[in-house]
Amino acid sequence: MNQQLLAKTFVELADNLVADFDLIDFLRLLTDRCVGMLDASAAGVLLADRDGELRVMAASDERVRLLELFQLQNDEGPCLECFRTGAPVAITDLPREIDRWPRFVAAAHRSGFGAVQALPMRLRDETVGALNLFHAAPGPFDPVGTLVAQALADVATISLLQQRSTQRSTVLNEQLQNALNSRVLIEQAKGKLAERQGIDMEEAFTALRTYARAHNRRLSDLARAFIDNSEPLPGLAA
Amino acid sequence: MPGSRSARIQVLVAGQAALRGARVGVVDVCTAAVSALPVRGAGVSAMSRTAASHPLCSTDGISERLEELQLTLGEGPCVDAFTHGSAVLVPDLLAGEAHDRWTVFADAALETGARAVFALPLQMGAISPGVLDLYADVPTMLDAGELADAQAFADLATLLLLDARIEETRAPVDRALRGRGSEDLGGYRAEIDQATGMLTVQLGVGIDEAFVRLRAHAYAQGRRLADVAADVVARRLRLPPDTEPQRTDDET
Repeated sequence: MNQQLLAKTFVELADNLVADFDLIDFLRLLTDRCVGMLDASAAGVLLADRDGELRVMAASDERVRLLELFQLQNDEGPCLECFRTGAPVAITDLPREIDRWPRFVAAAHRSGFGAVQALPMRLRDETVGALNLFHAAPGPFDPVGTLVAQALADVATISLLQQRSTQRSTVLNEQLQNALNSRVLIEQAKGKLAERQGIDMEEAFTALRTYARAHNRRLSDLARAFIDNSEPLPGLAA
Repeated sequence: MPGSRSARIQVLVAGQAALRGARVGVVDVCTAAVSALPVRGAGVSAMSRTAASHPLCSTDGISERLEELQLTLGEGPCVDAFTHGSAVLVPDLLAGEAHDRWTVFADAALETGARAVFALPLQMGAISPGVLDLYADVPTMLDAGELADAQAFADLATLLLLDARIEETRAPVDRALRGRGSEDLGGYRAEIDQATGMLTVQLGVGIDEAFVRLRAHAYAQGRRLADVAADVVARRLRLPPDTEPQRTDDET
């Protein structure tokens, strides 16, 4: 593992946990860094809603097929197990688990993945979600890489508590609720932009994210303004 | 998911409707919330950024007064919850910032007999049709489980409020659609939200209406909402821009 890249990544993430903090953008950054540093092909952050259903908060790739692979794990798969047990789940050879998780293994295989990890996002005694890593090739995981992955999962958990709150609330429940609602906003905006521009969901997300950064706006705020038509957003959509 | 919080809340609300001998409505969410939480009253207001907001229902005189106060004064936990899109919890109107934040409202609310106020926005992303307000006459804190329950009540109220709009704006879709609750919001949630966004463009409607039409179509076709949404996102399905959902069966 590249020590310099490692150090630089954590500094970068810490720098982003500041005022003007944008949760969804931050988690996207985190998943991108997972892919860059941990030899993963794809990464996602999943959060449980109040019914214990795992919802995707961010992914290194917004294509529908990949999102489905994360969401599928509401019924079976490493993330569900990780969430329920609060323990990491490491699958070095995915096809061997075909009986355990038939749908998940088949779908992951179709997407070209051979190994999967799920790291728990834990806050005190509670598991609130999981960091999910997909690897192309089967094989053992680098132990240092796994430690780093867990540290990144911990950073993701902490970021949930950093969200702007109008009442300076530290109630985790409210933070989770806000996070999940922000994601819904962004998904709705992706759909609207994708349809209007005739682009796919990944392109739509990129367009929204780029615009938000260029104009120093929170992604979820921009998404809301775009859906409501409440302000002109020149350059976002024709 | 049976046994889940949402399922339990739905049962409580359905129970209230059964007691009334009527179909499930927003008022049942209010009465169920009062029976399940350490609050004395509950009310729901329909809120809008563009049109007038108005109270919809309340369980007692104090709730009714609280709804009216906030809408008339244009300030209060309810207004803030709607504006900011997050719950506003005030365990004690006498303590902390309540007085600074809502000077006129805080005094007026205390006079009605309210001491604690909890305002939960009804929302699914940009779909935000109103607010659920709960009050207690003594200082009260909601614990994590109670807050989660309150949010679940708010979620159900959101769906019921949207369902009611179908019937207001056009010929009734199907009476059985009401009370279906949140059971079909499971599955692949991201596609449901994306499809809703897509439909605002395809149908040329607002986000609330887009979601209502998506659900109405799924129900009319007897399909899971997530499956219909997946078809919309994959561009295998375009909804017809008619006002009536297409039916494959011959229901009256």
